[in-house]
Amino acid sequence: MSALLRPKPFLEPQYCKGCLRCIEACPRHCITPGTTLNSATGLVPVELHLENCNGCSLCLQACPEPYGLRLETDRPGPEGDFVLEDPAKLFGEKCVPNHSEGDLPDDRIPLPACEPMVLKGTYAAAIGALLAGCRHVFGYPITPSTEGAELMARILPKLNGSFVQAVSEVAAVNMMYGAGGAGLPCMTFTSSPGFSLMLEGISYMIGAEVPGVFVNIMRGGPGLGNIAPEQADIKLACRGLGHGNTRAIILAPSTPQEMLDLTAEAFALSFRYRNPVVILGDGYLGQMTGTVRLPAVMVRPGLPAWAVWGDRAHQHNLISSIALEENDLEAHNEHLNRKYAAIAACEQRVDSHLCRDAEVLVIACNTPARMAKGAVQAARERGVKAGLFRPITLWPFPIDALVEFMSGVSRIVVVEAGPGQLEDELRLALSHAGIAPPPLTHVRRCGGNLPQQSEILAGILGTKEVRS
Amino acid sequence: MSAFYDHFSRHSHGEGLKAHSTHYCPGCGHGVAHRDLAAAIDELGIQDRTVLISPVGCAVFAHYYFDVGNSQAAHGRAPAVALGHKLAHPEAIVISYQGDGDLASIGLAETISIAQMGLPLTVIFINNAVYGMTGGQLAPTSLMGQRTTTSPTGRTAAMGQPLRMAELIAQLDGPVYVERVALFSARERVKARKAIKQAITHQIEGRGYSFVEIIAECPTHLKMTPQEAEQWVKTAMEPVYPLGVKKDLTVEPWFKPGAPIFDPEAVLGLSGAEPRRDDEAHDVPPWPAHLPARDIAIKLAGSGGDGAQTAALLLTRAAIAEGYDATNIPSYGPESRGGTSYADVHIAEREVLNPAASEPYVLIAFNAPSLAKFGGTVPAGGLILYDSTVITTPPALPKNRRVIPVPFTRIATDLGRPMVKNVVALGALQAALNLLPEGSVPATLHHVLKDKPALLPLNEAAFAAGRAAVEATLVSA
Repeated sequence: MSALLRPKPFLEPQYCKGCLRCIEACPRHCITPGTTLNSATGLVPVELHLENCNGCSLCLQACPEPYGLRLETDRPGPEGDFVLEDPAKLFGEKCVPNHSEGDLPDDRIPLPACEPMVLKGTYAAAIGALLAGCRHVFGYPITPSTEGAELMARILPKLNGSFVQAVSEVAAVNMMYGAGGAGLPCMTFTSSPGFSLMLEGISYMIGAEVPGVFVNIMRGGPGLGNIAPEQADIKLACRGLGHGNTRAIILAPSTPQEMLDLTAEAFALSFRYRNPVVILGDGYLGQMTGTVRLPAVMVRPGLPAWAVWGDRAHQHNLISSIALEENDLEAHNEHLNRKYAAIAACEQRVDSHLCRDAEVLVIACNTPARMAKGAVQAARERGVKAGLFRPITLWPFPIDALVEFMSGVSRIVVVEAGPGQLEDELRLALSHAGIAPPPLTHVRRCGGNLPQQSEILAGILGTKEVRS
Repeated sequence: MSAFYDHFSRHSHGEGLKAHSTHYCPGCGHGVAHRDLAAAIDELGIQDRTVLISPVGCAVFAHYYFDVGNSQAAHGRAPAVALGHKLAHPEAIVISYQGDGDLASIGLAETISIAQMGLPLTVIFINNAVYGMTGGQLAPTSLMGQRTTTSPTGRTAAMGQPLRMAELIAQLDGPVYVERVALFSARERVKARKAIKQAITHQIEGRGYSFVEIIAECPTHLKMTPQEAEQWVKTAMEPVYPLGVKKDLTVEPWFKPGAPIFDPEAVLGLSGAEPRRDDEAHDVPPWPAHLPARDIAIKLAGSGGDGAQTAALLLTRAAIAEGYDATNIPSYGPESRGGTSYADVHIAEREVLNPAASEPYVLIAFNAPSLAKFGGTVPAGGLILYDSTVITTPPALPKNRRVIPVPFTRIATDLGRPMVKNVVALGALQAALNLLPEGSVPATLHHVLKDKPALLPLNEAAFAAGRAAVEATLVSA
């Protein structure tokens, strides 16, 4: 373009911060430091003398403000609005497929009937995720969860999906933040120390309302602990998901079948509430092989309207957890609190066994709930009216169902392969519900030991605990 | 200018001047770099496909200004977030815009590992040698002797010497394009704009990872005027951070991932699921009356390589195929090879309630340490089978247990493959325990070896030989 025809710059003085970077940039010395303080900004904008300007636009490249120095051709129209040219006119229609406004719904695809499978818990969770439409898995190897990631690493490339072994759990959870922020179902397999590392990212995901599924196969702690099963992350998951006002649905499966069913369900919950969901399994459950029946449908995920997908329909979307102004952040927390309240009202899940007439109520989850079930049956054979109350959601704790069973209960026995974190959840739930608990005892083992049926039976019968 | 919002409604709700001015200090290099990035997005016509990642640092508010898809990331994690976006939607143009604390300090692991992966992403790195948002602390790129609020007497070697990120990234194998540019003169700004455009072009064309380091001015925390800051970058920073193209590989476009597959047959096949076999439907066999309980625990113990795990899995599958409930829990020592290896199997008429086997009704021991360790855990009336080929002098075992020595290894060796000793053991278990129907384990062998039919006769022979060996002892007893 001829220098004479090139557009010259103009400046709206209130958008100039007076940094003077443009002055040195101009080869024709058309810009001088200002002399008048701008009353709107309290700053002194530069002054333009464009007699010698040849429209080189080097001053624009020096200006740090988007609405600082601009070209005359970009000057706002007479109505004071900015007239933007339609990019389609300039560049033609984009090849990127555009989705219509609103959510693109999931497809539910019927599955043929299959033979029951014989699967270990981590594999069952992986297959549950595949059937729920997950094609993006990010992880870092850690015993005893790694087999789930290994299976995904074998299968996903053949489904044009992605398994990425990240440089750390910290990176893995942030890859989930990206893929989840793009609106797709994604997950990780981890175990206690790795889950600790992911908490920062989980807090960001909750703050930015990004879905994602975490399968945490809990192991013995604190510190390096060991690789044996322990229910030692209940506190972390229910009370400590990183900094800030965080909550997530915490699911506690007790069989390989539930590893599949609850993992698949976790994706639906995660997108329904735009919030991470955590599966807490124990080391036994991760490694244990058992019968698993497949569901009747699988999911091809759609795309939510809020996704930062990278196309025109989603161009104005933002995934963010920053709200600089106090009122904005307070409003965001109130929004989160309403969501948590809705979850607490709608998503309590429990499995109860012989609870209707129970006088001694045994409360246990994960693998210890299986031993507890055996102990309850053995107690019934001895004439003791025992029942098993197995929370499937640890948060929200299924307090509504518990209250229903409480009228005849004279004693509660909390059974844990851990240091008492389930009992704390129970006590908090009772307290929030305004219920004074009946006498409450517990059977606890930790370090990788599980409470055995005989110990639990002794706990139910109120006899001296015997470690056989 | 269309890559910028025409109204910065996210900046203090777009009130007053904030609707059209940034939060950056006067003369900030970020502002210049933002205009360069906006120009590149405009010129390349990618505004609607762009996803911009802005992590913690002064540029955390990039989403106030850029009218593109925006994701705000935690401190240092932007490349990981960018990777997630790119893998979710490969058509998106994903740009990670990071400062020096973010990229070269807290996010160093993410920066290097994701650069080395080489996927088409674009990283714009603003190096202004100081922490801006937190208020002027030492950056990984601060110069030697530079005074900051956390190096009040100047940076020393013990604080770490300046990290040259462009050179560091360029020596990795993953990136295809790495350049360091500056903003301190019109000439350098022209080059900076070109470099950003070039870097994004590499991504658009699917050629690979690109990285542009911009040495930039932070007048506020350098305590300088913008002009002094420009001079400082030129005279103090540039000698430490030499400008120029550090890497520019000619790479053919290669990144063309296919669409994820949701074909039920493919998913089920890869998962190992098999269609329902209606023809084989049968009733669950009655639970054997000679057993003392409706849930039998069996521990298989040996060292790694003995095949205890495989045998446990075969037994579990066979029981489940019969319609019983069964579980198997493997347990290994910390050694990847050798070491202890045992498995707890439960077979129950209806439901396994106690999947561990701390007091197994049956112990199958493949070596002497396993027999010594677990022999005493078998309760009275229980069954112990052990490999008499390797355990020539068994330890003292409790009374009132059925102890049956079987030469698993010798029988397997005679069949030509010592490794089938675990199947010999399952044959021995069949004869000694008689829990599952006779054809149950052979049918499972048939099923799991359907793709390796050549191995089937050997395994069938091993099972039969194990059975025969125990039946012989029962007859002789």
